[in-house]
Amino acid sequence: MNAIKVEGLTKYYANILAVDHVNFEVNQGEIFGFLGPNGAGKTTTTKMLTGQTRPTSGTLTIAGKNMVREPIEAKKSVGVVPENSNVYDEMSAWDNLIFAAQLYRVPKVEREKKAKELLELFGLYERRKDRAGVFSKGMKRRLTIAAGLIHKPSLLFLDEPTSGLDVQSSRMIRNLIKDLNRTGVTIFLTTHYIEEADQLCQRIAMINKGIIVALDSPEKLKASVEKHQIIDVSFDQTRNLEQKLSSLKGLEKAVQFGDKFRLHVRSTSEAVPLLGDFARENGLKIVSIHTLNPSLEDVFVGMTGLSPEIMANEKEQGKKVANVD
Amino acid sequence: MTKSWTDTTIKAFYIALKDARVYYFKAPNFTYGILIPVSLYLAFSMAGNISTKLIVAGLTSLVMLFGTTSIEAVAVVLEKQTGTLDRLLAAPISLFTIVLGKALAGFFFGLILAGVVLFPLAAVSGVVILNPLLAVVAIAFTSMAFSALGIVASAYAKWVPEAQMISNFLRFPMVFLSGTFVALETYPFQLQVVARFLPLTYSVEALRSSISSSTVTLTYAVDIGALALFTVILLALSTVILKKRIV
Repeated sequence: MNAIKVEGLTKYYANILAVDHVNFEVNQGEIFGFLGPNGAGKTTTTKMLTGQTRPTSGTLTIAGKNMVREPIEAKKSVGVVPENSNVYDEMSAWDNLIFAAQLYRVPKVEREKKAKELLELFGLYERRKDRAGVFSKGMKRRLTIAAGLIHKPSLLFLDEPTSGLDVQSSRMIRNLIKDLNRTGVTIFLTTHYIEEADQLCQRIAMINKGIIVALDSPEKLKASVEKHQIIDVSFDQTRNLEQKLSSLKGLEKAVQFGDKFRLHVRSTSEAVPLLGDFARENGLKIVSIHTLNPSLEDVFVGMTGLSPEIMANEKEQGKKVANVD
Repeated sequence: MTKSWTDTTIKAFYIALKDARVYYFKAPNFTYGILIPVSLYLAFSMAGNISTKLIVAGLTSLVMLFGTTSIEAVAVVLEKQTGTLDRLLAAPISLFTIVLGKALAGFFFGLILAGVVLFPLAAVSGVVILNPLLAVVAIAFTSMAFSALGIVASAYAKWVPEAQMISNFLRFPMVFLSGTFVALETYPFQLQVVARFLPLTYSVEALRSSISSSTVTLTYAVDIGALALFTVILLALSTVILKKRIV
């Protein structure tokens, strides 16, 4: 049985098509990454999967339970950690966890034991009586994740779990994701940190304009773009070289960045000797030369036409505007 | 079926306890719930003598109306704005359970406000409540109906000011049309008909009955039935609106 099975999932907001006949399956015990630029349909899809919004059409089952027909049964095995921490500021860390457990009818003894265990795990036990409103962003994030785990879900939705956190907190959360997965918890991870998805996920789906544009393991996705191999090369001078390099045989594209050039070539083994000839003919010295394998970021850029940096910047700008509002 | 209702009631109760802690039992909410009704009473009383029985029943109903709807109107909106509503929506609970939980919090708040006002006011003004049990039942049904009314505004609104505006639009005309401090019989016939569509009318009437009569009169029974009907309709309406607005 799949942890998640989605067939023809579609969502319209008035006349706007947000998610367009999406199909995918998430296996039990898998870490599944869900990537896409802003406005691609990630949040809408996740909200449908977690029962927070109803699909216009299509079917979706969570652990064999239909989310539309039996939402309460389907939600019992699901933990949700949204992008923005959503704990109650007026309540203490302890009360937040207890309330989250009560919504899942976790028995009193068990919920108190689990709350203590989670607060200790996330380094919040000493602050358990403090109002969440006085917590730092990182502490609130940890408390939100703890609230998502209080009922021991078998499927956990994590939306940008490390966004805006310091290095130490991010590392702690990534390790936690791995540990949870080792205990059999299926993870549905939405992130704009491509590297994070590459490190953690067994399979990744990329969504753009409401359509799944790629779905496979990170390595297979990278292999799919290997028709363009990459060489980073730097010479002892850079003037007018971008244009000259474009005449190189087998070259698809040359892009200057800093004192280097990124060359997209059909074959690195053919291109490297040609670069030696090019340097001699133009009186240049090669300072460094590296061949690169395509990264998941290259796949993402190829599929969505957007760089993750731009996406992250847009996200930050959006947050700033929202804060100002 | 029974198991499902037990589950709904228990979870609604947890939400009500949480709401009470987060939103309700704070000094400003109590003062706001009492201040406006007292001001309205003073405005009415300038026009002439009002019977003490009318004051006790009218003021108690108004305190519940303003107390519950003021805070109820923002309880759902604030959860929408802070994202905490998503936590409730992602949990294995129905929308109706969320609405019921919110209404229960308002219900308990209304009970306390009414208790704070009715019995001391009756004691001070020398009004004898002939059947305190009937008064408590009237207060309970009133509190639940007004609480449900507050959620309708909250379910529809996106922002707190919008919820407050809708809430004021609903309750201020009621104050003048429901015979709060004036006997309804003195109103023109058309306004008496309009008054029959307003829950405040039944609340005031039921409280007056409990003050004047020690037994259940037909008027009292109709009033309680009407308040129960308002509660059911308003809770169902809130659930439908919430579903359309967010799900």
